[in-house]
Amino acid sequence: MSAHDHSHGDHGELQMGHHHISSSAMFLNVLLTLLVLTGVTVGASRIDFGAANMLIAMAIASVKASLVIAFFMHVKWDTAINKIVFLSSFLFLSLLFLFTLADHATRRMDGEINVTRTPVQFQWTQPAPQPHGN
Amino acid sequence: MSHDGHHSVVIPAPGPEFVPHTVAHHFDTPVQEFQSAKLGFWLFLATEILLFGGLFAAYFYYHEMYPETFRLGGQQLDWKLGAINTTVLLLSSWTMAMGVRSAQTSQKQKTMVFCGLTVLGAIGFMVIKFFEYKAKNEHGLVVFSELFGQYDTATGSLPWFKDYVGVMAGVPHGHLFFAIYLTMTAIHGLHVVIGAGLILWIMKGTAKGRFHSGYFLPVDLVGLYWHLVDLIWIFLFPLLYLVP
Repeated sequence: MSAHDHSHGDHGELQMGHHHISSSAMFLNVLLTLLVLTGVTVGASRIDFGAANMLIAMAIASVKASLVIAFFMHVKWDTAINKIVFLSSFLFLSLLFLFTLADHATRRMDGEINVTRTPVQFQWTQPAPQPHGN
Repeated sequence: MSHDGHHSVVIPAPGPEFVPHTVAHHFDTPVQEFQSAKLGFWLFLATEILLFGGLFAAYFYYHEMYPETFRLGGQQLDWKLGAINTTVLLLSSWTMAMGVRSAQTSQKQKTMVFCGLTVLGAIGFMVIKFFEYKAKNEHGLVVFSELFGQYDTATGSLPWFKDYVGVMAGVPHGHLFFAIYLTMTAIHGLHVVIGAGLILWIMKGTAKGRFHSGYFLPVDLVGLYWHLVDLIWIFLFPLLYLVP
Protein backbone atom coordinates (compact mmCIF):
# COMPACT_ATOMS: atom_id res chain seq x y z
CA MET A 1 0.00 0.00 0.00
CA SER A 2 1.33 3.40 -0.90
CA ALA A 3 0.68 6.68 0.82
CA HIS A 4 -1.92 7.33 -1.86
CA ASP A 5 -4.48 4.76 -1.07
CA HIS A 6 -7.05 4.53 -3.83
CA SER A 7 -8.50 1.18 -2.98
CA HIS A 8 -11.34 2.26 -0.76
CA GLY A 9 -13.46 -0.58 -1.94
CA ASP A 10 -15.82 2.03 -3.32
CA HIS A 11 -15.65 1.46 -7.04
CA GLY A 12 -16.80 5.01 -7.73
CA GLU A 13 -13.63 6.39 -6.18
CA LEU A 14 -11.57 4.42 -8.66
CA GLN A 15 -13.44 6.07 -11.46
CA MET A 16 -13.79 9.75 -12.24
CA GLY A 17 -16.18 10.41 -9.40
CA HIS A 18 -19.93 10.28 -9.36
CA HIS A 19 -21.65 11.69 -12.40
CA HIS A 20 -25.20 12.47 -13.19
CA ILE A 21 -26.17 10.56 -16.29
CA SER A 22 -29.20 12.10 -17.93
CA SER A 23 -32.01 9.99 -19.26
CA SER A 24 -32.58 9.65 -22.99
CA ALA A 25 -36.14 10.87 -22.54
CA MET A 26 -34.91 14.12 -21.00
CA PHE A 27 -32.53 14.74 -23.92
CA LEU A 28 -35.34 14.08 -26.38
CA ASN A 29 -37.63 16.54 -24.57
CA VAL A 30 -34.93 19.21 -24.68
CA LEU A 31 -34.40 18.59 -28.41
CA LEU A 32 -38.12 18.85 -29.18
CA THR A 33 -38.40 22.06 -27.13
CA LEU A 34 -35.44 23.54 -29.02
CA LEU A 35 -37.01 22.65 -32.38
CA VAL A 36 -40.34 24.19 -31.36
CA LEU A 37 -38.54 27.34 -30.20
CA THR A 38 -36.79 27.54 -33.59
CA GLY A 39 -40.26 27.67 -35.12
CA VAL A 40 -41.20 30.37 -32.61
CA THR A 41 -38.07 32.33 -33.64
CA VAL A 42 -39.14 32.30 -37.30
CA GLY A 43 -42.77 33.06 -36.40
CA ALA A 44 -41.85 35.99 -34.16
CA SER A 45 -39.70 37.49 -36.93
CA ARG A 46 -42.84 37.74 -39.13
CA ILE A 47 -44.57 40.00 -36.63
CA ASP A 48 -43.43 43.59 -36.27
CA PHE A 49 -43.09 44.48 -32.62
CA GLY A 50 -41.29 47.68 -33.52
CA ALA A 51 -38.45 48.56 -31.20
CA ALA A 52 -39.01 45.31 -29.25
CA ASN A 53 -38.10 43.11 -32.28
CA MET A 54 -34.49 42.68 -31.22
CA LEU A 55 -35.38 42.15 -27.58
CA ILE A 56 -37.92 39.44 -28.42
CA ALA A 57 -35.59 37.62 -30.84
CA MET A 58 -32.77 37.66 -28.28
CA ALA A 59 -35.09 36.55 -25.48
CA ILE A 60 -36.15 33.46 -27.46
CA ALA A 61 -32.51 32.72 -28.38
CA SER A 62 -31.53 33.09 -24.72
CA VAL A 63 -34.14 30.56 -23.63
CA LYS A 64 -32.80 28.13 -26.26
CA ALA A 65 -29.22 28.79 -25.17
CA SER A 66 -30.15 28.22 -21.51
CA LEU A 67 -31.63 24.82 -22.40
CA VAL A 68 -28.46 23.81 -24.29
CA ILE A 69 -26.23 24.99 -21.42
CA ALA A 70 -28.28 23.49 -18.58
CA PHE A 71 -29.11 20.12 -20.12
CA PHE A 72 -26.96 19.27 -23.16
CA MET A 73 -23.86 20.78 -21.52
CA HIS A 74 -24.88 19.36 -18.14
CA VAL A 75 -24.16 22.61 -16.31
CA LYS A 76 -27.20 22.00 -14.11
CA TRP A 77 -25.34 19.10 -12.47
CA ASP A 78 -21.81 20.47 -12.74
CA THR A 79 -19.67 21.65 -9.82
CA ALA A 80 -20.07 25.17 -8.42
CA ILE A 81 -16.64 26.29 -9.67
CA ASN A 82 -17.38 25.16 -13.24
CA LYS A 83 -20.73 26.94 -13.15
CA ILE A 84 -19.09 30.15 -11.93
CA VAL A 85 -16.31 29.99 -14.54
CA PHE A 86 -18.60 29.46 -17.50
CA LEU A 87 -21.56 31.60 -16.48
CA SER A 88 -19.27 34.50 -15.47
CA SER A 89 -18.23 34.79 -19.14
CA PHE A 90 -21.77 35.96 -19.84
CA LEU A 91 -21.46 38.54 -17.08
CA PHE A 92 -18.33 39.96 -18.71
CA LEU A 93 -20.05 39.77 -22.08
CA SER A 94 -22.88 41.92 -20.73
CA LEU A 95 -20.31 44.50 -19.63
CA LEU A 96 -18.89 44.55 -23.16
CA PHE A 97 -22.36 45.04 -24.65
CA LEU A 98 -23.34 47.60 -22.03
CA PHE A 99 -20.39 49.93 -22.64
CA THR A 100 -20.43 49.43 -26.41
CA LEU A 101 -24.10 50.35 -26.64
CA ALA A 102 -23.67 53.13 -24.07
CA ASP A 103 -21.10 54.63 -26.43
CA HIS A 104 -23.57 54.46 -29.26
CA ALA A 105 -26.40 55.89 -27.22
CA THR A 106 -24.41 58.87 -25.95
CA ARG A 107 -22.58 59.68 -29.18
CA ARG A 108 -23.67 62.83 -30.94
CA MET A 109 -24.96 61.88 -34.36
CA ASP A 110 -25.80 64.29 -37.17
CA GLY A 111 -27.62 63.86 -40.43
CA GLU A 112 -29.40 60.88 -41.92
CA ILE A 113 -26.21 58.86 -42.18
CA ASN A 114 -25.27 59.10 -38.56
CA VAL A 115 -21.65 58.05 -38.95
CA THR A 116 -20.71 61.65 -39.63
CA ARG A 117 -19.80 63.32 -36.43
CA THR A 118 -19.79 67.05 -36.85
CA PRO A 119 -17.48 68.69 -34.36
CA VAL A 120 -19.27 71.08 -32.08
CA GLN A 121 -18.18 74.65 -32.80
CA PHE A 122 -17.19 76.64 -29.78
CA GLN A 123 -16.83 80.36 -30.00
CA TRP A 124 -14.60 81.44 -27.24
CA THR A 125 -14.95 85.05 -26.30
CA GLN A 126 -12.81 87.10 -24.06
CA PRO A 127 -14.78 87.67 -20.90
CA ALA A 128 -15.31 91.28 -20.11
CA PRO A 129 -12.87 92.47 -17.50
CA GLN A 130 -14.50 92.48 -14.13
CA PRO A 131 -14.30 95.76 -12.36
CA HIS A 132 -12.15 95.45 -9.35
CA GLY A 133 -13.67 95.99 -6.05
CA ASN A 134 -13.34 99.37 -4.47
CA MET B 1 4.84 0.99 -7.51
CA SER B 2 7.26 2.95 -9.65
CA HIS B 3 10.70 4.06 -8.59
CA ASP B 4 9.61 7.56 -7.50
CA GLY B 5 7.33 6.23 -4.84
CA HIS B 6 4.08 6.91 -6.69
CA HIS B 7 2.07 4.09 -8.03
CA SER B 8 0.10 4.80 -11.17
CA VAL B 9 -3.64 4.84 -10.73
CA VAL B 10 -5.44 2.61 -13.19
CA ILE B 11 -9.15 2.68 -13.84
CA PRO B 12 -10.14 -0.86 -14.76
CA ALA B 13 -11.99 -1.58 -18.00
CA PRO B 14 -15.64 -2.56 -17.48
CA GLY B 15 -15.41 -5.36 -20.02
CA PRO B 16 -13.11 -7.22 -22.40
CA GLU B 17 -13.91 -4.87 -25.31
CA PHE B 18 -12.55 -1.90 -23.31
CA VAL B 19 -9.07 -0.92 -22.21
CA PRO B 20 -8.18 0.37 -18.71
CA HIS B 21 -7.30 4.04 -18.25
CA THR B 22 -4.08 5.02 -16.53
CA VAL B 23 -4.43 8.35 -14.73
CA ALA B 24 -1.74 10.84 -15.79
CA HIS B 25 1.17 10.71 -13.31
CA HIS B 26 0.75 14.34 -12.20
CA PHE B 27 -2.69 13.61 -10.75
CA ASP B 28 -3.28 11.82 -7.48
CA THR B 29 -6.78 10.57 -8.18
CA PRO B 30 -9.07 10.02 -11.18
CA VAL B 31 -11.45 12.58 -9.69
CA GLN B 32 -8.67 15.17 -9.59
CA GLU B 33 -7.77 14.41 -13.20
CA PHE B 34 -11.37 14.74 -14.30
CA GLN B 35 -12.11 17.95 -12.39
CA SER B 36 -8.86 19.64 -13.46
CA ALA B 37 -9.44 18.89 -17.13
CA LYS B 38 -13.04 19.94 -16.93
CA LEU B 39 -12.30 23.24 -15.17
CA GLY B 40 -9.63 23.97 -17.79
CA PHE B 41 -12.06 23.24 -20.57
CA TRP B 42 -14.76 25.48 -19.09
CA LEU B 43 -12.16 28.27 -18.94
CA PHE B 44 -11.40 27.69 -22.61
CA LEU B 45 -15.11 27.77 -23.46
CA ALA B 46 -15.40 31.06 -21.54
CA THR B 47 -12.72 32.54 -23.84
CA GLU B 48 -14.68 31.23 -26.82
CA ILE B 49 -17.77 33.08 -25.57
CA LEU B 50 -15.70 36.26 -25.33
CA LEU B 51 -14.20 35.72 -28.81
CA PHE B 52 -17.64 35.55 -30.38
CA GLY B 53 -18.86 38.19 -27.93
CA GLY B 54 -16.60 40.79 -29.57
CA LEU B 55 -18.15 39.97 -32.94
CA PHE B 56 -21.66 40.14 -31.50
CA ALA B 57 -20.81 43.56 -30.01
CA ALA B 58 -19.74 44.73 -33.48
CA TYR B 59 -23.00 43.38 -34.89
CA PHE B 60 -25.13 45.19 -32.34
CA TYR B 61 -23.22 48.46 -32.75
CA TYR B 62 -23.52 48.58 -36.54
CA HIS B 63 -27.06 47.24 -36.44
CA GLU B 64 -27.99 50.23 -34.28
CA MET B 65 -26.17 52.58 -36.66
CA TYR B 66 -27.50 51.21 -39.95
CA PRO B 67 -30.69 49.25 -39.25
CA GLU B 68 -31.80 49.54 -42.91
CA THR B 69 -28.50 48.12 -44.16
CA PHE B 70 -28.85 45.15 -41.85
CA ARG B 71 -32.51 44.60 -42.66
CA LEU B 72 -31.82 44.62 -46.42
CA GLY B 73 -28.65 42.55 -45.98
CA GLY B 74 -30.53 39.92 -44.01
CA GLN B 75 -33.09 39.68 -46.80
CA GLN B 76 -30.30 38.63 -49.20
CA LEU B 77 -29.77 35.49 -47.11
CA ASP B 78 -32.07 32.51 -47.52
CA TRP B 79 -33.77 32.16 -44.12
CA LYS B 80 -35.02 28.69 -45.06
CA LEU B 81 -31.44 27.44 -45.47
CA GLY B 82 -30.62 29.13 -42.16
CA ALA B 83 -33.55 27.39 -40.48
CA ILE B 84 -32.53 24.02 -41.97
CA ASN B 85 -28.99 24.52 -40.69
CA THR B 86 -30.34 25.47 -37.27
CA THR B 87 -32.32 22.22 -37.21
CA VAL B 88 -29.28 20.25 -38.39
CA LEU B 89 -27.14 21.71 -35.58
CA LEU B 90 -29.82 21.14 -32.93
CA LEU B 91 -30.20 17.51 -34.04
CA SER B 92 -26.43 17.07 -34.02
CA SER B 93 -26.24 18.57 -30.54
CA TRP B 94 -28.77 15.97 -29.44
CA THR B 95 -26.86 13.09 -31.09
CA MET B 96 -23.69 14.37 -29.39
CA ALA B 97 -25.41 14.45 -25.98
CA MET B 98 -26.61 10.89 -26.62
CA GLY B 99 -23.08 9.90 -27.71
CA VAL B 100 -21.64 11.19 -24.43
CA ARG B 101 -24.37 9.35 -22.53
CA SER B 102 -23.58 6.14 -24.43
CA ALA B 103 -19.91 6.46 -23.51
CA GLN B 104 -20.84 7.08 -19.87
CA THR B 105 -22.84 3.83 -19.88
CA SER B 106 -20.17 1.80 -21.75
CA GLN B 107 -22.29 1.34 -24.88
CA LYS B 108 -19.58 1.25 -27.53
CA GLN B 109 -21.76 0.66 -30.58
CA LYS B 110 -24.22 3.38 -29.64
CA THR B 111 -21.37 5.84 -29.01
CA MET B 112 -20.03 5.12 -32.50
CA VAL B 113 -23.47 5.55 -34.12
CA PHE B 114 -24.32 8.80 -32.29
CA CYS B 115 -20.88 10.31 -32.91
CA GLY B 116 -21.08 9.25 -36.56
CA LEU B 117 -24.47 10.96 -36.90
CA THR B 118 -23.01 14.12 -35.32
CA VAL B 119 -20.21 14.18 -37.90
CA LEU B 120 -22.82 13.73 -40.65
CA GLY B 121 -24.64 16.75 -39.19
CA ALA B 122 -21.42 18.76 -39.32
CA ILE B 123 -20.87 17.77 -42.95
CA GLY B 124 -24.48 18.60 -43.83
CA PHE B 125 -24.15 22.00 -42.18
CA MET B 126 -20.97 22.83 -44.09
CA VAL B 127 -22.43 21.65 -47.43
CA ILE B 128 -25.42 23.99 -46.99
CA LYS B 129 -23.06 26.77 -45.90
CA PHE B 130 -20.96 26.16 -49.04
CA PHE B 131 -23.97 26.69 -51.31
CA GLU B 132 -24.93 29.82 -49.38
CA TYR B 133 -21.43 31.25 -49.78
CA LYS B 134 -21.49 30.27 -53.47
CA ALA B 135 -24.65 32.33 -54.03
CA LYS B 136 -23.15 35.32 -52.21
CA ASN B 137 -20.05 34.98 -54.37
CA GLU B 138 -22.13 34.93 -57.56
CA HIS B 139 -24.04 38.05 -56.57
CA GLY B 140 -20.80 39.81 -55.70
CA LEU B 141 -21.87 40.36 -52.11
CA VAL B 142 -18.83 38.43 -50.90
CA VAL B 143 -16.32 37.89 -53.71
CA PHE B 144 -14.15 35.18 -52.18
CA SER B 145 -11.29 35.47 -54.69
CA GLU B 146 -10.94 39.15 -53.78
CA LEU B 147 -11.15 38.83 -49.99
CA PHE B 148 -7.51 39.84 -49.62
CA GLY B 149 -7.51 42.07 -52.70
CA GLN B 150 -6.10 45.56 -52.82
CA TYR B 151 -8.32 48.32 -51.46
CA ASP B 152 -8.86 51.00 -54.10
CA THR B 153 -7.88 54.22 -52.38
CA ALA B 154 -8.95 56.34 -55.39
CA THR B 155 -12.56 55.15 -55.56
CA GLY B 156 -12.83 53.82 -52.02
CA SER B 157 -14.44 50.65 -53.33
CA LEU B 158 -13.81 47.32 -51.63
CA PRO B 159 -12.46 44.58 -53.90
CA TRP B 160 -14.61 41.87 -52.31
CA PHE B 161 -17.92 43.78 -52.37
CA LYS B 162 -19.17 44.29 -55.94
CA ASP B 163 -22.96 43.92 -55.51
CA TYR B 164 -23.48 43.09 -59.22
CA VAL B 165 -27.28 43.32 -59.02
CA GLY B 166 -27.23 46.47 -56.91
CA VAL B 167 -29.45 45.06 -54.17
CA MET B 168 -27.69 47.11 -51.52
CA ALA B 169 -27.50 50.28 -53.59
CA GLY B 170 -30.17 52.14 -51.62
CA VAL B 171 -28.60 51.80 -48.17
CA PRO B 172 -25.41 53.21 -46.67
CA HIS B 173 -22.36 50.97 -46.29
CA GLY B 174 -23.97 47.84 -47.74
CA HIS B 175 -20.73 45.92 -47.35
CA LEU B 176 -20.90 46.19 -43.53
CA PHE B 177 -23.59 43.55 -43.14
CA PHE B 178 -21.73 41.10 -45.37
CA ALA B 179 -18.39 41.74 -43.65
CA ILE B 180 -20.00 40.85 -40.33
CA TYR B 181 -21.96 37.95 -41.86
CA LEU B 182 -18.82 36.43 -43.38
CA THR B 183 -16.61 36.95 -40.33
CA MET B 184 -19.11 35.47 -37.90
CA THR B 185 -20.20 32.51 -40.02
CA ALA B 186 -16.65 31.71 -41.19
CA ILE B 187 -15.27 31.62 -37.64
CA HIS B 188 -18.30 29.60 -36.60
CA GLY B 189 -17.79 27.29 -39.61
CA LEU B 190 -14.15 26.82 -38.60
CA HIS B 191 -15.42 25.62 -35.22
CA VAL B 192 -17.79 23.20 -36.97
CA VAL B 193 -14.88 21.73 -38.95
CA ILE B 194 -12.61 21.49 -35.88
CA GLY B 195 -15.49 19.96 -33.89
CA ALA B 196 -16.10 17.33 -36.57
CA GLY B 197 -12.38 16.46 -36.53
CA LEU B 198 -12.45 16.09 -32.75
CA ILE B 199 -15.52 13.85 -32.91
CA LEU B 200 -13.76 11.63 -35.48
CA TRP B 201 -10.85 11.40 -33.02
CA ILE B 202 -13.33 10.39 -30.30
CA MET B 203 -14.70 7.69 -32.62
CA LYS B 204 -11.18 6.36 -33.16
CA GLY B 205 -10.66 6.11 -29.38
CA THR B 206 -14.11 4.58 -28.92
CA ALA B 207 -13.32 1.90 -31.51
CA LYS B 208 -10.22 1.05 -29.51
CA GLY B 209 -12.33 0.78 -26.36
CA ARG B 210 -10.65 3.69 -24.58
CA PHE B 211 -13.89 5.29 -23.37
CA HIS B 212 -16.28 3.63 -20.94
CA SER B 213 -18.15 4.21 -17.68
CA GLY B 214 -14.81 4.48 -15.85
CA TYR B 215 -13.23 7.00 -18.22
CA PHE B 216 -15.13 9.19 -20.66
CA LEU B 217 -13.43 12.56 -20.06
CA PRO B 218 -12.40 13.29 -23.71
CA VAL B 219 -15.90 12.40 -24.97
CA ASP B 220 -17.41 14.74 -22.38
CA LEU B 221 -15.12 17.65 -23.34
CA VAL B 222 -15.55 17.26 -27.10
CA GLY B 223 -19.29 17.11 -26.44
CA LEU B 224 -19.11 20.45 -24.62
CA TYR B 225 -17.21 21.96 -27.56
CA TRP B 226 -19.85 20.75 -29.98
CA HIS B 227 -22.68 22.18 -27.87
CA LEU B 228 -20.89 25.54 -27.86
CA VAL B 229 -20.92 25.51 -31.68
CA ASP B 230 -24.68 24.99 -31.46
CA LEU B 231 -24.99 27.70 -28.80
CA ILE B 232 -23.34 30.33 -31.02
CA TRP B 233 -25.52 29.42 -33.99
CA ILE B 234 -28.69 29.79 -31.91
CA PHE B 235 -27.87 33.53 -31.79
CA LEU B 236 -26.42 33.82 -35.31
CA PHE B 237 -29.55 32.47 -36.99
CA PRO B 238 -32.04 35.17 -35.88
CA LEU B 239 -29.45 37.96 -36.05
CA LEU B 240 -28.21 37.24 -39.57
CA TYR B 241 -31.14 35.58 -41.35
CA LEU B 242 -34.13 37.20 -39.69
CA VAL B 243 -32.48 40.55 -38.78
CA PRO B 244 -34.75 41.97 -36.06
